[in-house]
Amino acid sequence: MLAPLWLLLIMLVVFVACIVLARLPNGLALVLAAIAGSLAAGQGVPMHHMVEGAFAYIDPILLIATAMVFMASLEDSGALGSISRSLMIGLHRQPVLLIMGMTIFIMFPGMITGQSTATVLTTGAISAPVLVALGIPRAKVGAMIAMSAVYGMIAPPISLPTMIIGSGVDMPYTGFEIPLLIATLPLAFAVNLALAWPHLRRIDLQAVLPGLGEDHAKRYGFRLFLPLVIVGGLLAAIRMIPAVSASVGVALVFMIGALAGAVTGRRFNLARSAQRSLRQALPVLGILVGVGAFIQVLTLVGVRGMMVVEALALPSFWKYVGVAVMMPLFGAVSCFGSASVLGVPFLLSFLGHNEIVVGAALSMFAGLGDLVPPTALASYMAAQVVGEPKYLRVAKYTAIPGIITILWAIGMILLANPIARIIPR
Amino acid sequence: MARPSFRASRQTLIAAGTLLAVALVVAFSSRAFIEQHKVEALHPSPALKRVFPLSEINPNLKGTPGDTDVYMYEGPGKGGSLLVIGGSHASEIAGTMTVALLVETLKVDAGTVFLIPHANASAMTHDEPQEAHPRHVFFDTPGGRRAFRLGARFTNPVHQWPDPITYAQPGSGTMLAGAETRNLNRAFPGVENGNLTERIAWGITELIRREGIDLSFDIHESSPEYPVINAIVASETSQDVASYAAISLQSDGWEFALEPSPPNFHGLSHREWTDHTKTRPILLETASAVMGRLRGPTNADLATIGKDPQYVKAAKIGAISVPFDENGISIEVRVARDLAAIAAIVSAFNDLVPDRAILVGGWPDPKELVEHKLGDYLAAP
Repeated sequence: MLAPLWLLLIMLVVFVACIVLARLPNGLALVLAAIAGSLAAGQGVPMHHMVEGAFAYIDPILLIATAMVFMASLEDSGALGSISRSLMIGLHRQPVLLIMGMTIFIMFPGMITGQSTATVLTTGAISAPVLVALGIPRAKVGAMIAMSAVYGMIAPPISLPTMIIGSGVDMPYTGFEIPLLIATLPLAFAVNLALAWPHLRRIDLQAVLPGLGEDHAKRYGFRLFLPLVIVGGLLAAIRMIPAVSASVGVALVFMIGALAGAVTGRRFNLARSAQRSLRQALPVLGILVGVGAFIQVLTLVGVRGMMVVEALALPSFWKYVGVAVMMPLFGAVSCFGSASVLGVPFLLSFLGHNEIVVGAALSMFAGLGDLVPPTALASYMAAQVVGEPKYLRVAKYTAIPGIITILWAIGMILLANPIARIIPR
Repeated sequence: MARPSFRASRQTLIAAGTLLAVALVVAFSSRAFIEQHKVEALHPSPALKRVFPLSEINPNLKGTPGDTDVYMYEGPGKGGSLLVIGGSHASEIAGTMTVALLVETLKVDAGTVFLIPHANASAMTHDEPQEAHPRHVFFDTPGGRRAFRLGARFTNPVHQWPDPITYAQPGSGTMLAGAETRNLNRAFPGVENGNLTERIAWGITELIRREGIDLSFDIHESSPEYPVINAIVASETSQDVASYAAISLQSDGWEFALEPSPPNFHGLSHREWTDHTKTRPILLETASAVMGRLRGPTNADLATIGKDPQYVKAAKIGAISVPFDENGISIEVRVARDLAAIAAIVSAFNDLVPDRAILVGGWPDPKELVEHKLGDYLAAP
């Protein structure tokens, strides 16, 4: 059998060739690259591994698909535009406060669901028109939403990558709140203010309001916002009384919200809205299916293990470079996969540094994967939300904030013990 | 007008063709997945008194994929009682094989023994996506080849779905990632009518309570990089037998780390059996390359023969917690370690509580097993 390094090269060459030469969709290219890797390793076409891997992301796929339908429902019912108007009217006198408030607002669903895409497609979608109306270019607004979604996913109380890293070493999810806030909140404010700052000026309300669409709240009253209340209430119930609501999945919550949207505001055809939103989501859903099969084969032929061993074999300084590069790169495939496959061994390799602070920092590296192409889930979804046709333009504006986040996280690892000493217990 | 309708029909054809291709892939590959639902036959030793389903203890498991066989052995003499479970995590194959070997070789002179080879029967029916684990491992017995399933760490999501966002461990409220709701060794002491995994956990805990079991083993495996490895984990109630046994094991050439059961980490068998029953709980942990994140090509040989050049390299750079050389860590070594630990701990218990002595044997000598093949000791298919 070929060495894992050669197998990795073959898989990458086939992937690039499928995209550049055959112009195939990314998802299909990943599946074909996985088959090529398996054939080169003498494993034939391992059908059950391909199917098993393809199903790895069935939950995120359902979540994204249903969140997209929910967002379309909010948009078509008129709720989205009306909320944007209200936010603008309420906060237009203090643009800086508006940006900081929006940052927390966008992060919130990520903080309670641990998912960046759900964040982009809910509060991200609500905030987008407001931020665009402030005069911030669409691509930058997309970057602000994507970055906030990633920080929201890592921020407490629910940080799934942190939980995954902790469970890999039997570390209970306790005491992480302040380290996770240190990891996320200052950066979220700083990054969004920095992105918005050059465009912030005194807001002429009369000039920007027409751009935010009609105010449907006058006609339908509070019931226009019921879908949001229902979704927010159900998500909070799942979080607070799990014994009662454990079997209600987040995907089902979004579908209930979408159905509610069809009867609480402007009339529209929900089936058509769902069809439109699923068509938009299909490329990224395809990528997730392809990524699942790709990783399964990477594991099957030994490439995944080789990558981890090589990363751990790096000398001290290069280990920081390794964690900063490999975790976000692997996170592009799956941020939860990165937390599990690389986060756990890296946590063990940083023994001697406070493990809670290091765990929080490693979660940041994994979370950044949602910004790394070709998947770049958060950037891709944010581009759709702001109406930016090329998601790479959004991804471009996340590059520098991403690098700053990496440096911040490295700083947290280096200073893990002093940070731990000043955290109140 | 004809042109658009042609386009539509072409799109329909492409869609139909794609659906057909997907259906064929599903039909072709589904056989492999269905195969994993077939429970392998075990051939119990003559000491077996009866086999009963766990649903006899928790009727809420009846007819569910979580119901599992409990093998009960009873000796002619009076004595204490012993429980050994494997397959809490169905990917940890040495645990399943240790209990399967006990089922087929056990002799009891005094006391009662309960064996559960597939503690989480649902987890035996699938593999964890992206782990690329083999579905079966194979052993050549004198009478022919036998296949044993290698399952997953968690309950099959087909049987318990969807996962909550986070799992609040019942009783303690400890928060864990949502998928842990399907982890049997985070669900103890269980909930009588909870989710499938919690019902299994309750059934096992209740078995211990109802039968007044004196000594209970939960056998696990872990990746070689995991810090608690080649270990005996004991709680405050089982420290006595574990400490005695660790000394005798060491003098016999077996190195075990003695690890305390964390008092605040709830859901684990040793913790909850301590807090909710009167048994002395023990968890055993061996190192398995097929479990690890650093492993090379993944196949059935890695699970059984256990050789892996990537772990050899990882050992050289100090990235793992156990010695790992070119000989690997075979399933014979892992099962032998489990058997040696069980024998030593039962013996320590008998010394400490002589009026409840459990006189058992019949399984292969651990040192001898290391020199042979596991299949040599299993019954013919």
